[in-house]
Amino acid sequence: MKPTVDHLIDQMQSLFKDLIAKDIMIPNVVSITSDRTLEQAKELMRLKRISGLPVIENDKLVGLVSIEDIIKALEKGEIQERVASYMSIKLVTIKPDDNLPKIFDKFTRHGFGRFPVVNDKGRLVGIITKEDILRSILEEFRLLYVRDKRRSDVLNGEVLNRSLITGEEINKSGADFVFPIDYVEVSLSGVGAARLKEFLLTKGYNEDLVRKIAISAYEAETNVVIHSGSSGNIYCFIYPDYIRVRVEDHGKGIIDVDAAMKEGYSTATDQIREMGFGAGMGIPNMHRYSDKIVIVSESEKGVIVEMQFFLEN
Amino acid sequence: MKLREIANILDAQLYSCEEKLDDLDIERVGAADMMSDVLAFAKPGMLLITGLNTSQVVRTASIVGISALVIVRKKQVPQETIQAAKMFGIPILHSPLAMYTACGKLFQHDLKDIKSL
Repeated sequence: MKPTVDHLIDQMQSLFKDLIAKDIMIPNVVSITSDRTLEQAKELMRLKRISGLPVIENDKLVGLVSIEDIIKALEKGEIQERVASYMSIKLVTIKPDDNLPKIFDKFTRHGFGRFPVVNDKGRLVGIITKEDILRSILEEFRLLYVRDKRRSDVLNGEVLNRSLITGEEINKSGADFVFPIDYVEVSLSGVGAARLKEFLLTKGYNEDLVRKIAISAYEAETNVVIHSGSSGNIYCFIYPDYIRVRVEDHGKGIIDVDAAMKEGYSTATDQIREMGFGAGMGIPNMHRYSDKIVIVSESEKGVIVEMQFFLEN
Repeated sequence: MKLREIANILDAQLYSCEEKLDDLDIERVGAADMMSDVLAFAKPGMLLITGLNTSQVVRTASIVGISALVIVRKKQVPQETIQAAKMFGIPILHSPLAMYTACGKLFQHDLKDIKSL
């Protein structure tokens, strides 16, 4: 079933609810004072190619004069009259802090083509037409697009060869330890972490540190096996001050990283739970045992977990 | 407490690492079915009582340094699990008792939980 237009507008409004009048309006509005003649107003509109003018008196907005008003005056031969006698004084204005839903509401309720934006002191600070709203929304879409694009750059591009934590270049083919994760055989999850543990113990690292690294790697490996539906790798890099573990896959990705960071949040199936996993402890456990952790993910683009373990303490 | 004594108390059968029966001294015990809980809270050297019998449990034990496993609630222990236990050098006991009873009996014999030491 297609969503109704109302529903779409509702959704859009919540997406753009942070847009406020101040960001949408055109500032420095062309205006006219109330003691000018309608003919002067007509000339100003013609020169500036606009169809309406706000009318100002003692620095305050007092009315709007439109082409319609000019036509009426012409019909009656009163084009030399003052603007004040023909302008419309029933003003509906917008405040600089009004948000998009509020502005939309004014447009639908009153059916005018433009609304003046007036500050607390009654002073005209800008004007908003439907075109201005459309332009702001498109601009916001462009920002969303750029944000998304930046994230996919991380997941697709060259940034893949940089540390998510320190930004320095990583040469994965030069990793001290690599283990390809077999995601088809669920019962094999943990084999990579066990190998990594063995490897680090033979290098002579202290047991407590190795245990922390192995547990974190085990959780990350298990996540790849039970959630990603794709292959992945465990990389380990040894540096003078710390050990870096990076687990990457190319699978489904984490839809809500913030939720996944909370203990007890899980999307695992019953079968996985029967194996003793899926308690929603995976990412919290990695967080608990690593000194630094960064997770980057996008739906359908995979997950990268990078963790740092300092050699001291 | 020696592992042999624990096996007697729990009326359990040993499936791997017989040589450790008289060597291994157990001081603390925990019981869990969630592997992530084990990863989060287990202490090296402890004995784990669990209702899981997959090879996963052996791998988890090896990662956190659990010295022996007691499997309860299950009718049998798969060959694959026993193989993994042999490989990692972790003794597996299989007890017919319920988890609650197994815990209770060991507690009566003055074995401590993971927090009290």
